[in-house]
Amino acid sequence: MRIEEFDVIIIGAGLSGLRAGLELSSKWNAAIISKVYPVRSHSGAAQGGINAALGNLEVSKEDTPKGHAFDTVKGSDYLADQNVVMFMCEEAPKIVIEFESMGAPFSRLESGLIAQRPFGGAGFPRTCYAGDRTGHALLHTLYEQSVRNGVKFFDEYFLIDLIVVENKVTGALCLNIASGELVIIRASYVILATGGFGRIFKRSTNALINTGDGNGAAFRAGVPMQDCEFVQFHPTTLYGTNILITEGARGEGGLLYNKKSERFMSKTAPEAMELAPRDIVARAIDIEVIEGRGFENSYVHLDLTHLGSEKIKERLPGIREISIFFAGVDPIDEPIPVQPGQHYSMGGIATKYKGDVGETDLPSLWVAGECSCLSVHGANRLGGNSLLETSVFGRAIGRKLLEKGLPQKPSLIIRENVENELLQKIENLFNKWENNKGKRPVEISDIMGETMNKNVGVFRKQDLLEKAYEDLKKIQKEFLNVHVATTDRKFNYGLIRTLELRNMLDIAEVTAYAALLRKESRGAHYRWDYPKRDDENFLWHSLVYRTKDGLELKKKPVILGIFEVKERVY
Amino acid sequence: MAENIKFLVYRNSGNGDIRYERYEVPIFKGMSVLEALFYIQDHFDSTLAFRYACRGAICGSCGMTIDKVPMLACRMQVSTVKTTKKPVNMPEFNFGEHSDWDKENEILIEPLPNMKILKDLVVDMDPFWKFYREIEPYFVRNWNNVAPESKQSPFQMKAIERLVYCILCGLCWACPVSSKNPSYLGPAQLAKADRFINDSRITKEKQQKVISRVIKEDGVPACERFFICNRVCPKGVMPGTAIKDLRDKWIKNE
Ligand SMILES: Cc1cc2nc3c(=O)[nH]c(=O)nc-3n(C[C@H](O)[C@H](O)[C@H](O)COP(=O)(O)OP(=O)(O)OC[C@H]3O[C@@H](n4cnc5c(N)ncnc54)[C@H](O)[C@@H]3O)c2cc1C
Ligand code: SF4
Ligand code: FES
Repeated sequence: MRIEEFDVIIIGAGLSGLRAGLELSSKWNAAIISKVYPVRSHSGAAQGGINAALGNLEVSKEDTPKGHAFDTVKGSDYLADQNVVMFMCEEAPKIVIEFESMGAPFSRLESGLIAQRPFGGAGFPRTCYAGDRTGHALLHTLYEQSVRNGVKFFDEYFLIDLIVVENKVTGALCLNIASGELVIIRASYVILATGGFGRIFKRSTNALINTGDGNGAAFRAGVPMQDCEFVQFHPTTLYGTNILITEGARGEGGLLYNKKSERFMSKTAPEAMELAPRDIVARAIDIEVIEGRGFENSYVHLDLTHLGSEKIKERLPGIREISIFFAGVDPIDEPIPVQPGQHYSMGGIATKYKGDVGETDLPSLWVAGECSCLSVHGANRLGGNSLLETSVFGRAIGRKLLEKGLPQKPSLIIRENVENELLQKIENLFNKWENNKGKRPVEISDIMGETMNKNVGVFRKQDLLEKAYEDLKKIQKEFLNVHVATTDRKFNYGLIRTLELRNMLDIAEVTAYAALLRKESRGAHYRWDYPKRDDENFLWHSLVYRTKDGLELKKKPVILGIFEVKERVY
Repeated sequence: MAENIKFLVYRNSGNGDIRYERYEVPIFKGMSVLEALFYIQDHFDSTLAFRYACRGAICGSCGMTIDKVPMLACRMQVSTVKTTKKPVNMPEFNFGEHSDWDKENEILIEPLPNMKILKDLVVDMDPFWKFYREIEPYFVRNWNNVAPESKQSPFQMKAIERLVYCILCGLCWACPVSSKNPSYLGPAQLAKADRFINDSRITKEKQQKVISRVIKEDGVPACERFFICNRVCPKGVMPGTAIKDLRDKWIKNE
């Protein structure tokens, strides 16, 4: 068995992991661990952009970080921690300028400054972008700087579980995907930056690798999950693969039709029609489908044909390419089949109340990026704020740890005992999976995905959520008997995907449970049976723990004090 | 609707035993080749190895050879494999014996060419990353936090726009030069060099540094102008055209 030792390890090589790694590698012996090559991380799929009050446009001269913070807090339906939001928005212009100095190929204004576009929920155009591939541009830039600075990487290593000794994290147990060997990687600090977990839903715009592995590992180590009931659904994802069809398509004049050729948005939003906010459009589409006016009982049409071939080719080339290659539909000739899909997870690994940003209740464990809940997005994230979050907090956490210095480690003998126990536990698990006679993983993941989509989706209701929670508990039990081949461990993606499912089941269960207990509608969490926000009873963050009797909810106060809590109207 | 399609899939345990296996997959409208492979992994053999991540043609993980053409498996629909026009003058790739392939009806799945095969469809990308690092693909400015940012006109940005779109998928290593010359830097790597050299924000010294690397025998001079790279690239990077740019504009006078 191999053992590696570092001052700090970062699990995840998306924007948050890379940015933290760059900071920490400058002074410490640091390593970044990723289950895919860093440039394959999901951050690379982000299209729209990254928010910062740079004020580069004539119309945005008056923009300020405080204005950005206000929009963010309002967008969050007042559930975001306001001090953290303020910090993020103040850092935003600095981090974007830093990206530029690293060589990021931003789109430009005639003035030569970084271009900015308007985005939903923002008072000024403040979303900086690189064409429709901002995430790709930023991810490659950070990777390039990592190569320049000789950052140490473990590519294609899979985090299985955290090593916790005397209530302190001392490393991670990983699987070397290529060789199949288990590796202990010791570190004084572990930062989880494993990204989102949209794959708990059957329909998601997320990459297939967004399976909440860091969340699962932290949860098993006793760290609670925060605000997991808040899940953002995007109204228009491509039917089939659920690849994102950006709002731009509607912005350019795309129209939504049901199977009876009705522009159904006239019923819910007669003024804004197709350009109503994301959650409203998503709900409207779902209603059409539920009430039988969708195509094949699953989707509606996003029609661009009236825009004409020239405009489509010029303004929406990306959308056209996606439609052709992923649905076999050329939007010049035919409407695009679309349906709502999970898009972003506002919740995640809970952070310490009034602790340093990114610090968890488990000493030496820190979290950043979409896997964490810091909480800057509250009940609803604004587009362009999550790329911002990843890099701002990746950097901030790196700096904070350097400032704190390395902690004392428990004695080597005790650590070795715990490591060996964990290794044995995982070996036993793999053997059990090999010998089990139960279901195949796909049978369980299908049920999970369906359940989440149907009963914990865009619309929620007491009885549906109760059913979902029961169903998920049932498949958790079935998962104990799951069968998968584990003897040949070299590039055994069947095994990897079973480990991912182990994590997803936990987070799915937490999500259903938290949604069940939040009897109000706030931000992205919409309940038929409680359609109003209820500050008196529900202005708190949910923390979900696993106890020996099942899940348990605790409440964590929201940090207010900068902006007054008001109704969210646009 | 549930039509079945046959796949003939290259298998290699990594210890030298190569075989081709047949699988019949029920397809649905819009199913990609990548989804078909997942179906096989989920239902027939969980150890079938292939890489993936985004399933949306943006991460560069899922390069493989489909019906003798290197492609991204996620971007290719099962229903159109047989009808899609193949790039012209593709080199022959030989992975193993499969004379019983029914060309008309079976989809042939093989790994990417000119890379060592580690298991099934998973290839060794280490040389690809090594050559990527060799051209030192990065800015060397000090990081700056303070407005204003350094300027670049939209026109200057245009000069690199196509080049920054590379997803490092490795399809362009199907180049016949890569096949015979293992020290050839490779089309993607040279295109990356071109991306940095043409960036208006880069210093003369940095430019020279990159040029001094690609000017060597295993760099630009090794290219024999097959332009296979341009034809297989899924992102329109046109590495062959970038190499031409390097040769005509930047190296001519060296
Ligand atoms: C289609 C789409 C478009 C988007 N567009 C925008 C946008 O325009 N603007 C915006 O602000 N946000 C956007 N977002 C959201 C944003 O992209 C993500 O929130 C953000 O990139 C997450 O970054 P991250 O660093 O947290 O994680 P990721 O980039 O997801 O990286 C996670 C890393 O963790 C690693 N990892 C995971 N599990 C393990 C494990 N078990 N072992 C080892 N390593 C592991 C992975 O390999 C990867 O390197 C978009 C999201 C989607 C889905
Ligand atoms: S140049 Fe094209 S084919 Fe080559 S690695 Fe880049 S995207 Fe892939
Ligand atoms: S899976 Fe990302 S390019 Fe195909």
